[in-house]
Amino acid sequence: MLHRLLLLIAFFLAVICWGHSRSRLELRADLTYVNPSDIHTLDPARMSWTTDFRVALNIWEGLTSWDPETLHPTAGAAFFPPRVSDDEGELVFTLRNDARWSNGEPVTADDFVRGWRRGIEPGCAADYAFLLTDHITGADEYVQWRQRWVSALTALVRLRDGWDIDVRLAGSLLDPEIVLNLKSLGELALAQQLERLAGKPDDALGPAIRELGAGWSRIHSELLEVHGNRLDVEFSRVGIRALDERTLTVQLSKPCPYFLDLTGMPVFLPCHSSIELLRERHGRAALSETGLVLHDPQWTKPDYHRNGYPGLITNGAFQLTEWTFKRRARMAKNLFFHGADAIGCRTIDMVVYDNLNAALMAYEAGQVDLLPDLTVPYVHELVRRAESGERKDILRCPVSATYFLNFNCRSRSLNEAPNPMSDPRVRRALSLSVDKEMLVIKVRARGDRIAHSFVPPDATAGYVPPKAPGYNPDESRRLLSEAGYSGGAGLPPISLLLTQNDERLGQALARTWERELGIRVELTVKESKSFSEDKAERRYMVARGNWFADYNDPTTFLNCLASGNGNNDSGYSNAEYDRLLDEANRIADPESRFQLLSRAEAIVVQTDFPIVPILHFSEPIAIKPYVHGIHANARLWFPFRFARVSR
Amino acid sequence: MIRRVARRLLFGLFTIFSVYTLTFLMVVALPGNPLQQGERTLSPEVAQALRARYNMDNNWLYYWQFLRGALRLDFGPTFTYTEWTCNQILASALPVSAVVGVLAILLAVGIGVPAGVVCAVGRNGFLDMGLMVMVLVGISLPSFVTGSLLLALFGVYLRWTPVGGWGTLAHLPLPVVTLSFPFMAAMVRLTRMSMLDTLSGEFVRTAVAKGAAPYAIISRHALKPAFLPVLTYLGPATAQAMTGSFIVEKIFCVPGLGQHFVNAALNRDAGLILGTVICFATMLVLFNLIVDILYSYLDPRVVGAV
Repeated sequence: MLHRLLLLIAFFLAVICWGHSRSRLELRADLTYVNPSDIHTLDPARMSWTTDFRVALNIWEGLTSWDPETLHPTAGAAFFPPRVSDDEGELVFTLRNDARWSNGEPVTADDFVRGWRRGIEPGCAADYAFLLTDHITGADEYVQWRQRWVSALTALVRLRDGWDIDVRLAGSLLDPEIVLNLKSLGELALAQQLERLAGKPDDALGPAIRELGAGWSRIHSELLEVHGNRLDVEFSRVGIRALDERTLTVQLSKPCPYFLDLTGMPVFLPCHSSIELLRERHGRAALSETGLVLHDPQWTKPDYHRNGYPGLITNGAFQLTEWTFKRRARMAKNLFFHGADAIGCRTIDMVVYDNLNAALMAYEAGQVDLLPDLTVPYVHELVRRAESGERKDILRCPVSATYFLNFNCRSRSLNEAPNPMSDPRVRRALSLSVDKEMLVIKVRARGDRIAHSFVPPDATAGYVPPKAPGYNPDESRRLLSEAGYSGGAGLPPISLLLTQNDERLGQALARTWERELGIRVELTVKESKSFSEDKAERRYMVARGNWFADYNDPTTFLNCLASGNGNNDSGYSNAEYDRLLDEANRIADPESRFQLLSRAEAIVVQTDFPIVPILHFSEPIAIKPYVHGIHANARLWFPFRFARVSR
Repeated sequence: MIRRVARRLLFGLFTIFSVYTLTFLMVVALPGNPLQQGERTLSPEVAQALRARYNMDNNWLYYWQFLRGALRLDFGPTFTYTEWTCNQILASALPVSAVVGVLAILLAVGIGVPAGVVCAVGRNGFLDMGLMVMVLVGISLPSFVTGSLLLALFGVYLRWTPVGGWGTLAHLPLPVVTLSFPFMAAMVRLTRMSMLDTLSGEFVRTAVAKGAAPYAIISRHALKPAFLPVLTYLGPATAQAMTGSFIVEKIFCVPGLGQHFVNAALNRDAGLILGTVICFATMLVLFNLIVDILYSYLDPRVVGAV
């Protein structure tokens, strides 16, 4: 018995050893860097994480690129700068003759149109679609039109399968365009019935439509085909056009001085035509059942070959040669890249260490060359050593980002109780007693910069942000009694909503408020998803917030506080502020534009206080001294084509 | 025998189904939107389109769709890592956890059981006391302490092993040893206790009276019945070790299954939560069944157990 057992164990051990020796021992890449979380997605249309951008911008190249140090736009796949038409409404990009895909094919203007179209198509598009819809003529209208059809087709799929539909889906079937199309398909009776339902109360609409019991399946496939045939016609109204193989024109819907900073971003990357092999098709339409443009999400893998797909083809300095989940992504020099001769590293490895403590140990042990995230419990000690010059390999990136507090500006909040934060005097009082210096230097101690404005002062050349008033508890107490809460009397406990990462900061802040103003503060610490939901549902009086610049312009910050903006978490609304932003949007002259924006920001940080800026992040990163050409830039993107390693 | 096993399997299926249903209810009740990434608020149109794509606008439909898929061993897409299906994630993570887990359990049995026997034979002696203190330390010290210490010592200071990661034999020892500590400690205690119990049995006294050698008494007569409680513990322990430990995997950056139990829940990734839970439940059921079958081999008295 025992012998047999031992034999079994020996056999098992042999199998493990054999299995492991088979995983070929590859040479270490020229440069290895850590990604703490693995890639979330490599689909440029969908990505929104800096860690994903870092990979994408090394394997693809947009029309423009950035200087690795200053991040000023430079030439990319197109010549720089593009030709600008007289009224600045149209840009004409000409692609380089030697812009090539990693399989050697030339990069064409159509590839860019395909990529940008994916950036706004419902089904492909995600967080960053607004960069296209906000700036390109007709893009927003196209998306809205698509959304209406997607809703209607989704409703028809649900009806076909015999499910209930909610008000939103039901309403989409009453859309005049849908009704009109039903009529032209010969579904006169149904169209008339739908028209008659227009006045129905919300909750009765869904069941009423279901009772019509039409031939939903047939109607669905007919409408899907009609819609599929209209797609290209409607898209031709969007201001992106390929004039010939190498010329791309872009029609801007408003003056956009920072547009060339956008054109290198992931949503503006080109897309190789092979992706169409993986497009989901339903019936005769090249769309999914619900009218979405869907590609097999695995198209971004280098070794994916369904339907004869050749694997991911990109046009950047590197190409992805291997990607294993939660382990590693390997990039190799793209030999067809126009600047291939100047690339210093043959291979780049992205390795996943979800424990940054281990990542730092691996860095110290020399297994890793670049560690772009040092969020370890003892980071303040590393920062101290970097500041004292003891650790020259730890650099600090002045990230273009602001950490702030949101005040809930709505008149009612939490359980419909009156919200004292809707009074600007209370917000002002609270913000004047935020001791930023203490919070940033003593509590966080990560070498961040104290924030006196929402827009980081050095983010955009030429823009001087207004300065918020400093720490002044006396004034703060005076304002509070002016608002009728003398010594904090009559003020309900302030609910302060935080995530786990800023608990210490929150405690220090609460202590200051309680000490200086005599108010009571209730801390609510949530993990990030619950936090987001509470914030979205306005279950807070004060909540932490942070914002990372999407592009190099003050509006990336200031737009967040415009009335009705999806990221306006404080619910702030000021007509004058909106007007100033709007006016600035229509001006092309940078100087007067920046003046208007600065006036708008002054309303926020000096008068209304919907937010209190606390700090601008300085991210510490570690780079081995033998790695050259990687700079501590404000967006934490590292173009590896400029990296040189001399071990 | 076969009929009994079949019945147990049927019950097992029912258990897994119940676990699935309960988990599903909890997933539905969870606050937070799985489709939201980062700080940015999703536009309602995109959110609706995505929800419709995954059938998340209809829980009932999603419930059956997922179950149908699961029966074909297809756990569908993930929301957080869209390029990877749940199957691919499970297929890449489960073997990793299984290798670490099995090795850890083998190590725990290989050292824990003999140590327990030694303790029981020399009870209250010097060796027993010493080992029991070590066991107490093994149970009390959390993995993140032992793991971090081992990593700092062997990975950074001595540089015998790589710091974290996966792929070569050199990556194995540290996580395996760390994972095996608590199991090993439990096995020493279990073996010692049941060995003490067995050694006071009448058949042992008979064997001693007949003049059997002490080694033969322990290995041939006493160990087999004394091993039964250890075996009972081994079933769930193996399932637990093989499906990965979040802490050990986190410390050593091992790309195993344990992290997904936690991360999937944090990301509200319904497909992955359900996939990992079903995977774990299935293994638990299977290993308990295997243990019960082994039982009837080791101890003919418990034929009815299966």
